[in-house]
Amino acid sequence: MSAPRAVGREVERVDGVEKVTGAARYTADLKFPRLLHVAVVRSPHPHARVLGVRTERAARAAGVRAVASGRDFPLHTGIYLKDQTVFATDRVRFVGDPVAAVAAETPEEAAAGAALVEVDYEPLRPIFDVEEGIADGAPLVHPDLGRYEVVPWIQPKAGTNVCNHLKIRKGDYEGALRRSSRVFENVFRVPQVQHVPLEPHVSVARVDLAGKVEVHTSAQSPFTVRHLLCACFGLSHGDVRVHVPYVGGGFGGKAGINLEPIAVALAKRCPGRWVRVMVDRHEEFFATVVRQGLTATLVTGVDRHGKVQAQKMHYLWNCGAYGGYGVNIVRAAGYTCGGAYEFPNVWGDSIGVYTNRPVGSAYRGFGMQEIHWALEQQMDFVACELGIDPVEFRLLNALGAGKATVTGQVLDEDAGRVDLCIRKVAAEVGMDPARQRRPYSGKGIACAVKAPAMPNDAASSVVMKFAEDATLEVLISGIDYGQGLMTVAAQFAAEALDVPVETVRVRGCPDTDLSPYDWQTVASRQTWATGNAILRAAEEIRRQLLATAAEALGVPPGELALARGTVAHAASGRSIPLARLVMGYQFPDGHAIGGPVSASASYLPEGLLFLDPETSQSAKPVAKWTFGAQAVEVSVDRETGQVTVEKVSACYDVGHVINPGLIRGQTYGGIVQGLGTGTMEELIVDTTTGRAVNASLMDYKIPSFEDVPAVLTAEFVETPQRDGPMGARGIGEHTMIPTPAAIANALFDACGVRIHDLPITAEKVWRALREKERGERERAGAAGVPAAAPAASGAIA
Amino acid sequence: MPSDLDYRSPSTVDHALALMSEAPGGAFLLGGTDLLPQMRTGRRAPSVLVDLKRIAELREIRETADGGLSIGAAVPLADVETHPLVRARYALLAECVSTVGAWPLRQRATLAGNICNASPAADTAVALLAFDAVVGAVSSEGRRTLPMSRFFTGPGRTALRPGELVTDVVLPATSRGFAGSYLRLSRRKGMDLATVGVLVGRSDGELPPRYRIALAAVAPTPIRAVAAEELLEARGPKAAAEAAELAMDACAPITDLRGSAEYRREMVGVLVRRGVAMLERKARP
Repeated sequence: MSAPRAVGREVERVDGVEKVTGAARYTADLKFPRLLHVAVVRSPHPHARVLGVRTERAARAAGVRAVASGRDFPLHTGIYLKDQTVFATDRVRFVGDPVAAVAAETPEEAAAGAALVEVDYEPLRPIFDVEEGIADGAPLVHPDLGRYEVVPWIQPKAGTNVCNHLKIRKGDYEGALRRSSRVFENVFRVPQVQHVPLEPHVSVARVDLAGKVEVHTSAQSPFTVRHLLCACFGLSHGDVRVHVPYVGGGFGGKAGINLEPIAVALAKRCPGRWVRVMVDRHEEFFATVVRQGLTATLVTGVDRHGKVQAQKMHYLWNCGAYGGYGVNIVRAAGYTCGGAYEFPNVWGDSIGVYTNRPVGSAYRGFGMQEIHWALEQQMDFVACELGIDPVEFRLLNALGAGKATVTGQVLDEDAGRVDLCIRKVAAEVGMDPARQRRPYSGKGIACAVKAPAMPNDAASSVVMKFAEDATLEVLISGIDYGQGLMTVAAQFAAEALDVPVETVRVRGCPDTDLSPYDWQTVASRQTWATGNAILRAAEEIRRQLLATAAEALGVPPGELALARGTVAHAASGRSIPLARLVMGYQFPDGHAIGGPVSASASYLPEGLLFLDPETSQSAKPVAKWTFGAQAVEVSVDRETGQVTVEKVSACYDVGHVINPGLIRGQTYGGIVQGLGTGTMEELIVDTTTGRAVNASLMDYKIPSFEDVPAVLTAEFVETPQRDGPMGARGIGEHTMIPTPAAIANALFDACGVRIHDLPITAEKVWRALREKERGERERAGAAGVPAAAPAASGAIA
Repeated sequence: MPSDLDYRSPSTVDHALALMSEAPGGAFLLGGTDLLPQMRTGRRAPSVLVDLKRIAELREIRETADGGLSIGAAVPLADVETHPLVRARYALLAECVSTVGAWPLRQRATLAGNICNASPAADTAVALLAFDAVVGAVSSEGRRTLPMSRFFTGPGRTALRPGELVTDVVLPATSRGFAGSYLRLSRRKGMDLATVGVLVGRSDGELPPRYRIALAAVAPTPIRAVAAEELLEARGPKAAAEAAELAMDACAPITDLRGSAEYRREMVGVLVRRGVAMLERKARP
């Protein structure tokens, strides 16, 4: 291969012009003849028995064409644990749980029809907190948990609210704790938050008169949607077709299956008609999916040198009403429970608990930001208590080649260098321990690590073919919902075949009837998995082109080179442009050879091993790790508690930067999303009614442009991943993982207060500062000396 | 939102009043940035919308005979914020207006609409209260004026009668030339409702100067902290801390999603002290 031309260069987004001009079409833009609109009847109770659902009056209402409700659709769905039916059957489990749905000629008629659906409920005691959920005698959210179908590597506990429990048992934790010179324990909490994609969930379905199901949906994973729809309705994969047009943001909230079953259930009731289910912003907040809540209790035992010897991590996940997807977050958090550190003796428990809150599911980071919020503050806490510089303490305990993770996996040389990331960000924000300090201004650091959390056999495949003018078409089924996958795919294809990237067309809006299989667009896996498949397909394309050219030129294929859009024979100086090869080569006498050049290829991670069910030890539990770190600088307003994040510097070991512009965008975007969950986001559920009380953009804030820190920097280390495409590994989610913890650590550095419960709001900081100053006054008073006036920052004495 | 909603857009005030008297369940529409979301969530369900934006008389900013400034009810906030006379004479109003939503929203939202919505957090109301603005109103019973100090009667409630509409808001000549700041805490830096809003103003070039302190989001309505103003007028900026205490006493905040009552009350004190200090800093050459 000649020098890189497409990979490593800041290639413009291939979907950029379409998206900027509005040419790109999203699901809600699609026009369907005689479209029916849907209103969903949702539970007003957080937990209740459903005694009866009467739909007769709704069915007779003006304009209503179909009504669907619970017991007609008894099959369960869920990607890992099948714990959810299309509509609640015998029980509702959260405010917003779908009970029935009405399809009508207009949205108003659908709403009027839905209002006529009568549901008899017998309210049950709801549970909202994980501690309550795991207590003996807690009401069961899923009494049938023991009867649900589940993948073998998820362990629900029948007769409890525990939908998964992963245990890490490494070394001798108890012994190491006894031998520790100091022990520290802290509890940290993370609330449920929502993804807030620009485009809310929407799905359109039709069952044609022959019974074939067709779906257009805003989703991250067309094939998984098809697979789960088949499970849910007892259909053959051959009779279900799923299209995904452009998607306006997902962040995990459109992984797995969401509104599609409701659309299909109604479509089955009115064959031939297109049925569209679309949630508004209010419903998006509580009726689709949210990020899980977490209560983390950490115990750290260190030796005299500051090396952590014993580490206990107890993660209680608030999974909400259904755990079909969330159970795997529980698992991922378990086998990653030690973060970027080498802990020789570990006692880890990651426990998923059902509650009557909105449904927890995948969210960018897949549990990692949540556990890093706890772990990275704990590491900082311990360093500060020991009087060790937080940067040095991290380096002392960091994972690296030859060191073992919590599952006992000994990292290879290609695993990535968290130590370099730590050093680079610390230098970038100036974390030298001898630095000049300003009152109420501080610097903090946090590390991040994440592996793709997916079934061991999660695969991607691609098809590559040429058009007559040698335009190279790349068919993928990974979804580009903003991260830049289509551009990266074009770069890999152009690089591998040495054609101009402008001549590549990535067909990135898949149709399961025509597109190659891809498991899901999640887990920061697309650049890596689809990239590998593209490189393999390109090899086959190259073989075909050279074989035809060799025959055409009468030379051995080994003497030919594919470069700059031609196949050339250096010795004779002869060459053939691709346009004369891609549909077959025709000789001067008219006879032709070869034929349309095309190839398909796939990628499936190799050598992954299940975790031991009791200890979770495994030599290779995941395909790869991506390590990184962020350092931030904050200033704190002592009197108001407002924290201003002045600067955030990120560094990740990504193996190989494919597109510098896109990776910077990913990094800055992740930081801003991390700033949102770090300082302002929390979906608040009223624990008397079970309702989400801030389910609107007025009451639930995400960052605006004015909140973006004044300085953002991104650096990358490139330790090639052995099985990554040109050495690349995933980065999409990692960019938001450490931000909240780094802000919290900087806050502590600035003013000596620690916020244990996300988000870090001004009022919480104000209370903590007031508490601290009161304590200082009392201590000073007890010592008989007047308290020193605290230094002011922008404050007026 | 009902699809059979009736929409009318009269070109005179009389016609607007007549339409409303025919449909007592109706609502006047200005920018709609509060009303339409309230209709969408079912909080309000008017039978007819009488749009006032085509009434020429309501679309003007003009000087009054006695040197005040009349801002028509249908003038978008963006025009208020950028108007040369507003900026020259009532700069604090422009500052308050600039904190409402985002620029595109301010192209639609209006001053009259903002005060008729009567949110306790209304950012424009603090300046109007501070400047002793007068609200012009008209109904089938005739025209009248209402001082801002008596305009709000509670959260979401005003002294307007059913069927009465606001024609303009008049800033008196005596309130020209106040310097100061509108200090505001919110959950994020842009496009958010105030958790606490504090306007601190002082008349320029008068001895002794007049002070104005008005508060948003810390009482059932936006309010003036008159006792605090009087103290500053009597004793000057060195009494800032005591004035801050008086302002805290004047407020009656609630705990809601944006902040607790305790935090809000304390922040009123902090922001009043800062506002007074900023006057001093601005005043120095």
